[in-house]
Amino acid sequence: MAREKKLARKTIRTFVREGAAILLILTIALVWVIILSLLLSKTPAKTLGYFFLGPLQNTYYFGNMLNGSIPLIFGGLGVSLAMRSGNFNLGGEGQIYSGALVTTLCAISLAPLGIVGAFLALVLGALVAGALAGVSGFLRMQWNTSELITSFLLSNAVVLVVNHLISGPFLDPSTSLMATRKIPEAFRLPLLLPPSNLSMALPIAILAVVVVQLYLYKTKSGYELRMTGLNPFFAKYGGIDTRRYMVLPMVLSGALYGLGGGLAIYGTYYASIKEFSSGMGWNGLAVALIAKSKPTAVIPAALFFAYIEAGARSAMLHSDVTFEIAAIVQSIVFFLISSEVLLNLFTKRGKQ
Amino acid sequence: MQFTIPILHSAVTIMTPLLLASMGGLFTELTGMLNIALEGLLLMGAFSSVICSHYTGSMVVGTLLGIACTMGLSAILAVVTLNLKSNVFITGLAVNLLSAGLTVVLCFSLFGNKGVVVFDNIPSLPLLGTPSLARIPILGDIFIGHSAFVYLSWLLLGICYYTLYGTPFGFRFRATGLHQEALSALGLSPNRYKFFAFLISGFTCGLGGAMLTLNLGAFVPNITAGKGWIALVIIFLGNKKPLGLLLAALVFGLADAFSNYAQGALQVPSDFILALPYLLTLLAMVGSSIYAKKKGAIES
Repeated sequence: MAREKKLARKTIRTFVREGAAILLILTIALVWVIILSLLLSKTPAKTLGYFFLGPLQNTYYFGNMLNGSIPLIFGGLGVSLAMRSGNFNLGGEGQIYSGALVTTLCAISLAPLGIVGAFLALVLGALVAGALAGVSGFLRMQWNTSELITSFLLSNAVVLVVNHLISGPFLDPSTSLMATRKIPEAFRLPLLLPPSNLSMALPIAILAVVVVQLYLYKTKSGYELRMTGLNPFFAKYGGIDTRRYMVLPMVLSGALYGLGGGLAIYGTYYASIKEFSSGMGWNGLAVALIAKSKPTAVIPAALFFAYIEAGARSAMLHSDVTFEIAAIVQSIVFFLISSEVLLNLFTKRGKQ
Repeated sequence: MQFTIPILHSAVTIMTPLLLASMGGLFTELTGMLNIALEGLLLMGAFSSVICSHYTGSMVVGTLLGIACTMGLSAILAVVTLNLKSNVFITGLAVNLLSAGLTVVLCFSLFGNKGVVVFDNIPSLPLLGTPSLARIPILGDIFIGHSAFVYLSWLLLGICYYTLYGTPFGFRFRATGLHQEALSALGLSPNRYKFFAFLISGFTCGLGGAMLTLNLGAFVPNITAGKGWIALVIIFLGNKKPLGLLLAALVFGLADAFSNYAQGALQVPSDFILALPYLLTLLAMVGSSIYAKKKGAIES
């Protein structure tokens, strides 16, 4: 018993230390918001006020911020699953975008089927996105081609093809927007916090976190996936079919991205708008890195990123900076988040 | 067949930034680091050199300052990666994200514009070549009459080859990637060579980026459009050898030049043409890994 208690205390201590290190990194990133505002804005106080408090000032902005975190949760989960198995999925941009387009088109043509059609359209979107990521997994399994590079290249090409499909064959001529036709009214998710965009997709995202958590820690397949990621040789000699875990996690990862894209259509956009998902894939990756691939940590990490984006948007609307300062802040996070020196800053040396 | 000569001529222009970026990337690759920051470094080079040319009124000074800015960014990348012991892949992503964001933010605060910024005071790049050389049939048409960047890239390729294969400095570089411990055993610091490699990447990407914008006399957001990634693939396809880089860069230059031509002549959607470099790169990656696997199977 005493030993167990000691172990529990040790786990808590590591948790606090890791958390402190990550908080430090996020604080450094936020300090850069202040520096950038002082350098770039003529009214820095106003800019900072809108950046930090804008997303929290009323239910409209707050709801929109929460809504912005939904695709990041899906993306973060997707990348986490892949990383846990030792794979890297860099194709989030293409997967989320193609998943969204497939879901939109299927939803329009499956409208007569009602709720079954809505469900099918989501599944089809996730499948296409999953297959897209699966290609990279397959290439790695078959010929050891780096999935990191192939998933990125494939995604870049797919984004361009989807752009073409949206602005060409599937363009809705009745609007001036570069977008497809809208999905049927009956398929749209109810709003949770009007007048904001926040939709029922949020509980679905939280459900997805629970499912991924249970899969990773409570199923045989999840165990095998984690083992393969921790030590592929150990896993292989332990009798795990490691080749399978080069493909399956990539497919799941892509499918989660695709689902995120599909739900963004059902909950927020109602049509595939050209480049609507631009940046979501990369942010999903950042979220997974901050969360250190832990599904439960994906939610706070996604909220942090959504907060930065919402803050930048609010500062852009009310002050004189552009939205892209969010990208700079995010890049600072990327710079520091994998640093062993910073992450171990609070651990005592020589004591394990 | 009249169109082949202009295509070849523009292929030589198009391949130059790719060749330059891949040369810098070769050094980081040889020290055992996958440098995905090439894209961001190129973009930073493109932006800073055109801005500096605009404000100093001289393309030479502007290019030099642009190179200095890009080397500064690569030095940050090196310090964070080596001294703070970060994952080079993730810090590389950070550089790409930072360049994409910073260039737009600075464009907006300097010119109040997030789109294309045209600089009227930047003249078009002078094209070099003596008439007597240009009169050589075919070869003269293809290789003469380019900007200084093109010839500079060839010169640098020679220097790169000599450095890597003819100097102790180059041997140590290659040793860093092959067997880091051997270097440490000699009392040399592997991290020092890695640091140099990042600086060299910054230098060549600064130069390559400068060519992109000075050619246009304008800055376009995301003007690099994946060129840094293609440079990375060129390193793999070129089998991590300087002359291989030249060949692989030429292949991409040709593909790009041809697709530019096809866009005008054939009725292919422009998005598909833009997607072509990525798909070709993908095919090349798969092809080279199949080859590597077959070769490995024979050897073992």
